[in-house]
Amino acid sequence: MSSIWSNCLKKLENEIPGADFSTWLRPLQAVEEGDTLKLLAPNRFIIEHVKQHFLPKLEDAVYEFSNGSLIIEFEIGSKKPTVQIQPKLSSNKTTGSAPSTVKKAPSNINRAFTFESFVEGKSNQLAKAASMQVSENIGKAYNPLFIYGSSGLGKTHLMHAIGNAVLEKNPSANVVYLHSERFVQDMVKALQQNTINTFKDYYRNVDILLMDDIQFLAGKERSQEEFFHTFNNLLDKKHQVVLTCDSYPKEIEGLEDRLKSRFGWGLPVAIEPPDLETRTAILIKKAQQQGIDLPQDVAFFIAKRIPSNVRDLEGALRRVIANHRFTGDEITIEFSKEALHDLISLQDKLVTIDNIQKTVADYFKIRVINLSSKSRKQSITRPRQIAMTLARELTSHSFPEIGDAFGGRDHTTVMNACKRINKLRESDVKVAEDYQNLLRMLSH
Amino acid sequence: MAVQLPLQFDLQSENNFDSFFPASNQELLEHLQRFIHDKQELQLYLWGETGLGKTHLLQACCQQAQHIGRQAFYLNLIDANPEILEGLDAIELVCLDNVDQIAGNADWEHALFNFYNRLREREHQLLLTASCPPRYLPFMLHDLKTRMSWGLTLKLKILSDAEMIAAFRLKAQSMGIEVPDRIARFLQQHYQRNLPGLWQLLDKIAQTTLMEKRKLSVAMIKRIIDQNGPN
Repeated sequence: MSSIWSNCLKKLENEIPGADFSTWLRPLQAVEEGDTLKLLAPNRFIIEHVKQHFLPKLEDAVYEFSNGSLIIEFEIGSKKPTVQIQPKLSSNKTTGSAPSTVKKAPSNINRAFTFESFVEGKSNQLAKAASMQVSENIGKAYNPLFIYGSSGLGKTHLMHAIGNAVLEKNPSANVVYLHSERFVQDMVKALQQNTINTFKDYYRNVDILLMDDIQFLAGKERSQEEFFHTFNNLLDKKHQVVLTCDSYPKEIEGLEDRLKSRFGWGLPVAIEPPDLETRTAILIKKAQQQGIDLPQDVAFFIAKRIPSNVRDLEGALRRVIANHRFTGDEITIEFSKEALHDLISLQDKLVTIDNIQKTVADYFKIRVINLSSKSRKQSITRPRQIAMTLARELTSHSFPEIGDAFGGRDHTTVMNACKRINKLRESDVKVAEDYQNLLRMLSH
Repeated sequence: MAVQLPLQFDLQSENNFDSFFPASNQELLEHLQRFIHDKQELQLYLWGETGLGKTHLLQACCQQAQHIGRQAFYLNLIDANPEILEGLDAIELVCLDNVDQIAGNADWEHALFNFYNRLREREHQLLLTASCPPRYLPFMLHDLKTRMSWGLTLKLKILSDAEMIAAFRLKAQSMGIEVPDRIARFLQQHYQRNLPGLWQLLDKIAQTTLMEKRKLSVAMIKRIIDQNGPN
């Protein structure tokens, strides 16, 4: 740290309230350049805030400790070298960059997510097999590979595993992993900075494009247009595209039909929530990765109590391991029960759709059987939609399972109900209130 | 008699680990310290009822991280706009207070989701607080919600009456104010049972004792409460 800046901070710490000092001034980094003290901040909002509230004090301090030899300048940035994970859109190259001149960014692949560290079960074995195929036959096996399923089930893990497998065989391969929102953000930046051609070159020249959560392109027409061309370009050159999504291609709302249709060209494979055995195996493997030998009965106990997604499982395991490291006690079922007390006690009351149906029916003063009936009266359909949405949120059941539990309805009916209720929660105070009340009733 | 103007008291600057009364949260403090020092975990989610000291702990973590030379940033989401998250993923430890408060705001949820993904790609740490466990965050964005339960989740336990008074005494002591037993009893019986309320009262006590140059008494507390409203 600049010694002048270090002295300034010591002085300012006594002059500026603690929370303000910690929030706004501590994170600034200082670089001395000639007669300038450059203060680096993560974004323009922080710079604006600092200028607005603390500039005179900053200037006084810098004047005092530099004997008037330095002036302050603000800049967005960071002193620490950070990993470049997006194309350099400000590059001077604006047209016609050959693939070899476009900067490769291998570091966005997470080395921990490999096929070896992925736990296979009935719910995900097809997706894993297809991913392995793709990594062995780039651009030939299934193109695009489209992996879909709910959040937190391992879609991203498989994507990185493909990337790692390819890089292992060919370290110079140009493999790019990114979230679809980043594609949108980069494109917006490129348009603002007039570097759209560099942007296009970058994405159209990768060997493998791994794009996560493609559903976030919904409603973004310009990004969809650009992605459409990127996609076609890569497929024409037989470069591999792997996509993940929360639903089947044809069911993505807000996406152009031509994209939906193309996403279905290769192989769409589903990942379902893991069954009990797989959840148990996941826990044992994740514990091993942290150097912990988790007994089978404990893993089984946790897996049984946390029936939802892999992220919840990992969160529970982290808690057990953290407590073990804190106390030094052996990990047993009793120990885990105690460590997960908060999580389990809440979970216990929430696991069944029956329970949700009963609570919702009581709340709206209708009969439970009405929720499964064919009635289309709003006094019945609204509670039914709310119950379905709650079932989706609070249990690990799939859309089809929820549909079955509500009079054998189709899974798309459940999906539409969830979308409808989530939208209404934003616009209709009554629905938002009812939903919150029910959520509270079911969780205490 | 001329009344001496008091210095500006800023209780937030006291938000460090030493001034936090642990009560039955000792283990939680240990986890937080490890989180900052070991850097083994990427995410820690701290939840508990309002008034238990989540903000205090978050600021303590942020300050401690900075004192050991780490880049850290504290942000209360209640006061902020989503744009503030731009570029913050470059910071090693980001502490976001009251994350539940942005639920239902589509712009905020998307901004937080993107920020989360960027921060994780860089393997930088995230420390969060909320008033409910991750599972009950009323987020519209399911993908964001599942991410909240990914790391270590800790609950801040409620303080008993006796523990709350002990916490009050500890904080008062750090400001040079002794709290006799009869005053502690009075507060226990008559004053609100949440820490922010007690800290505000303490702030007023500090100013009054300094201005009037008198020791703390029950009568003085009664007067302060009458002037500022009891609860």
